[in-house]
Amino acid sequence: MVDVSQHELVPEHTVLEEDILEDVLDEYDIDRTDLPKIKRTDKALPDEAEVGDVIKIVRNSRTTDQAVVYRLVVE
Amino acid sequence: MSLQTPKELDEIQFGLMDPETYRDLSVTKVITADTYDDDGFPIDMGLMDTRLGVIDPGLECPTCGQHSGSCPGHFGHIELAAPVIHVGFTKLMRRLLRGTCRECSRLLLTEDEKAEFRDRLSEARRLGRDPQDVLKAAIRQARKKDRCPHCGEIQYDIEHEKPTTYYEVQQVLTSEYSQRIAGAMQGNEEEGIDRTTPDELAEKTDIELTRINEILSGSFRPRESQRKAIEKALDIDLTEEDTNKLMPSDIRDWFEAIPDGDIEVLGIDSERSRPEWMILTVLPVPPVTTRPSITLDNGQRSEDDLTHKLVDIIRINQRFMENREAGAPQLIIEDLWELLQYHVTTFMDNEISGTPPARHRSGRPLKTLSQRLKGKEGRFRGSLSGKRVNFSARTVISPDPTLSLNEVGVPDRVATEMTQTMLVTERNIEQAKQYVANGPNAHPGANYVRRPDGRRLKVTEKNCKALAGMSEEAELDEAQTIGPGWEVNRHLIDGDIVIFNRQPSLHRMSIMAHEVVVMPYKTFRLNTVVCPPYNADFDGDEMNMHALQNEEARAEARVLMRVQEQILSPRFGQNIIGAIQDHISGTYLLTKDNPRFNETQALDLLRATRIDELPEPSGIDDEDKPFWTGRDVFSELLPDDMNLEFTGTIGDDVIIEDGQLVEGTIAEDEVGEFGGEIVDAITKQYGNTRSRVFINELSTLAMRAIMHFGFSIGIDDETIPAEAEARIDETIDDAYDRVAELIEAYERGELESLPGRTIDETLEMKIMQTLSRARDNAGNIAEEHFTEDNPAVVMANSGARGSMLNLTQMAGCVGQQAVRGERINRGYEDRTLSHYEPNDLSAGAHGFVESSYTVGLGPREFFFHAMGGREGLVDTAVRTSKSGYLQRRLINALSELETQYDGTVRDTSDTIVQFEFGEDGTSPVQVAYDQDHDVDVEGIASKVLDEEFDSPEEREEFLSGKTVETNLSEHAASRRVASEEVTSDD
Repeated sequence: MVDVSQHELVPEHTVLEEDILEDVLDEYDIDRTDLPKIKRTDKALPDEAEVGDVIKIVRNSRTTDQAVVYRLVVE
Repeated sequence: MSLQTPKELDEIQFGLMDPETYRDLSVTKVITADTYDDDGFPIDMGLMDTRLGVIDPGLECPTCGQHSGSCPGHFGHIELAAPVIHVGFTKLMRRLLRGTCRECSRLLLTEDEKAEFRDRLSEARRLGRDPQDVLKAAIRQARKKDRCPHCGEIQYDIEHEKPTTYYEVQQVLTSEYSQRIAGAMQGNEEEGIDRTTPDELAEKTDIELTRINEILSGSFRPRESQRKAIEKALDIDLTEEDTNKLMPSDIRDWFEAIPDGDIEVLGIDSERSRPEWMILTVLPVPPVTTRPSITLDNGQRSEDDLTHKLVDIIRINQRFMENREAGAPQLIIEDLWELLQYHVTTFMDNEISGTPPARHRSGRPLKTLSQRLKGKEGRFRGSLSGKRVNFSARTVISPDPTLSLNEVGVPDRVATEMTQTMLVTERNIEQAKQYVANGPNAHPGANYVRRPDGRRLKVTEKNCKALAGMSEEAELDEAQTIGPGWEVNRHLIDGDIVIFNRQPSLHRMSIMAHEVVVMPYKTFRLNTVVCPPYNADFDGDEMNMHALQNEEARAEARVLMRVQEQILSPRFGQNIIGAIQDHISGTYLLTKDNPRFNETQALDLLRATRIDELPEPSGIDDEDKPFWTGRDVFSELLPDDMNLEFTGTIGDDVIIEDGQLVEGTIAEDEVGEFGGEIVDAITKQYGNTRSRVFINELSTLAMRAIMHFGFSIGIDDETIPAEAEARIDETIDDAYDRVAELIEAYERGELESLPGRTIDETLEMKIMQTLSRARDNAGNIAEEHFTEDNPAVVMANSGARGSMLNLTQMAGCVGQQAVRGERINRGYEDRTLSHYEPNDLSAGAHGFVESSYTVGLGPREFFFHAMGGREGLVDTAVRTSKSGYLQRRLINALSELETQYDGTVRDTSDTIVQFEFGEDGTSPVQVAYDQDHDVDVEGIASKVLDEEFDSPEEREEFLSGKTVETNLSEHAASRRVASEEVTSDD
């Protein structure tokens, strides 16, 4: 099986620590359900990701060098 | 006017309505289908009962006591003789019928399953997903059950015949069971099935022989277990489908018994929406105000479609009741029931598939409830999202190169109709009086005035002088003369700001603000450089103008929407406004070979610009007269300190040093509409205003230049010498020979296929290649005979219009015509036209046009050319409708996204879509459009500072960061202390 998370086009997905998550939610003044979603079955997710976790994605961007996106794991 | 405060909405609940609520809401029961009596007065308990609201002026509503106009109307109701299905809920009803028990009405799910779906439902609600999906999944799960897990009853399939009929499908023993068994026992020799004797059958099925014989004779109906055994033994089907129609009353009973807890699993709120309410027993009658009748010229009344429909319903309802009371046969009752169902269905939706629409006497389908709401002209899209507005005008557009790109020419007859509100003060009273004195018909006049007490007076030819205080009567009647505190609705005058728009409004540059220039005649006039953002031309295009009605709107339009603020497009961060067409040819001619002009000529070129003094001459010619070069004339338009260097349209280096065009030709890539380098640089470095001035002057200079040189095109410009034509014929004959060789090789089977292609495809490709090379060669030969100063060549090279391909098609050879990217292969069997042999693979037989447009096409060539052209037309037609719909969907999907102050993009429920707008949080028009074109921020900053500060000290002080708090009150320091004692003055 191909591990897509190793593919060069798949950006880095990491599970966000709970205390860092608090800061992120505070910064944007939101609940975690207001974040964009990602399915648990998504092959790009790290193995330890569980439903309810928040994933930090750092991807290369055309307009900035690196763009950070947070996503909530669902279902 | 009522002074009621509008109600504030916290939330909207959607649900089903209890029939009892309908009755409570109703002001009267409606029992007669008649509307008016012989005197023309509404009949009591009829469809036009005055208690349902009044529409005739002068009458008082018996329900609310208000008059027509303020009476909102009141609902009535019809008691239906028999329950009827509501068409809007047929899908949900089907689901519920399939998911609940036919006997005990409970949901066909075990307690565990119910708990699971309850969890999924709350999960879906929490994550904002569609609870409908959970309902569907639950029903799917429930349908799998053959027996009810609660009462054990066998469940049958429910079939739904659209729109409103439901059947229960049962498998029962066919009446022909004995014949079928006998037939199967005969066996079939062809398929190798042996005969079965009754003895054998008895043995196989474990049924006594006597029973078998009784079954075979038809005197005993086999029980279910016996039937299955026989079916298994003989491999036959002894059942037939028995459909049992479910009447609305049956369904109502069924739904009534569904427990509250069971429907909550499906996401239905039992408190607000009991499923049995989907079957109507009471029909609400909409107020008269929703279905007003109109009186025709001849005094006859014409009723609204809804009223017609309600009349039908009441008639059938009455007939149904009469027949039932008279004890009519079941068949007739059922027919009437179906008819009642039909009328109630079409009352709500008259465009149900599978049902003939109810029609008016004239044959026009009735417009019932759903038709009022649906679609483009419906209540939502037609009346709520879109409305007609006052202070707007629409007319044909035409060009006017003397206008600034910020301006729009407004016909005087439009200007006298559109008005701007002017508050009269002591300082502008003289002007105001002059407007009013001019009256409503002379141009800078006024149409209305408004007194300080709020009364509006129309300015007429008769009273205008008096209102302005310029006649004798006026002195007698002081109060009727305008003064401070009045408002004057004066005509549009030069310099007013208006909004201008051309549909389709696909991007924000489709709606821009312009300054008015009042002009004679009937068209809107605009500068040709604003055609690209509007995508306008002058072949009959019309545009809309909106006069703004308050100071806020005018200020916003001026600051944000004026054309000069839209020079840079947010789509790609470069200018969308710039020189077009002849402007480009003009600058090209002016700068290409750097021609010389004498003083008069140079001044003429610059006459429509701000420059009224020529710079130092570029040189002295042989006759001792000073001359100015084209590039030096062009440089007069550039900012003095501008520096720029890039590779230009025709491949030469364009160099601008200190505002002088040192080298290079000015054409499309330099000043054109989509990303003209110089326009872009000026806009970004010197601002929108400087850019506007530049574009305006550029276009006028270009027009002067092209008029100086003269620019025209004729058929001789695309004609080549006979010798060249002969050479072209030769190359084409050559290509024909090579195509013939290819075909021969193919027929001999010697053609080798290209990798991944069949032989046929290979042949096609090679022929296409050969022919396209022939066309190119013909084009090259033709090109040799065009000089650089050929007008068509000038246009193609400068990028003004057309391409070299267009030119070679006119002079050399039109080339291969294609449909769907292939040579033309359609028409008759094995050939394109009956002029050719079947299976002729030659160039001519498949749409190769060897003639040029100047020479003219042969009949067959012409036909092939029309085929190719048709495809292009169809393509554009399909593409515009497809992309229009795509656009609509995209707009609807994205319209509520908003960039917040923290830089995130969120939707209305505050869900984040982007964590930083565009990932970098910048506007495309404020940044460089690519890495090679950095915006010189330092340079701009130092230039601004240079202009601002005279001495280096001042500049240093500013930069050192000592900010003076300018917007604070003088008393700021004392105000900060809250507890300080207030020292009173008095």
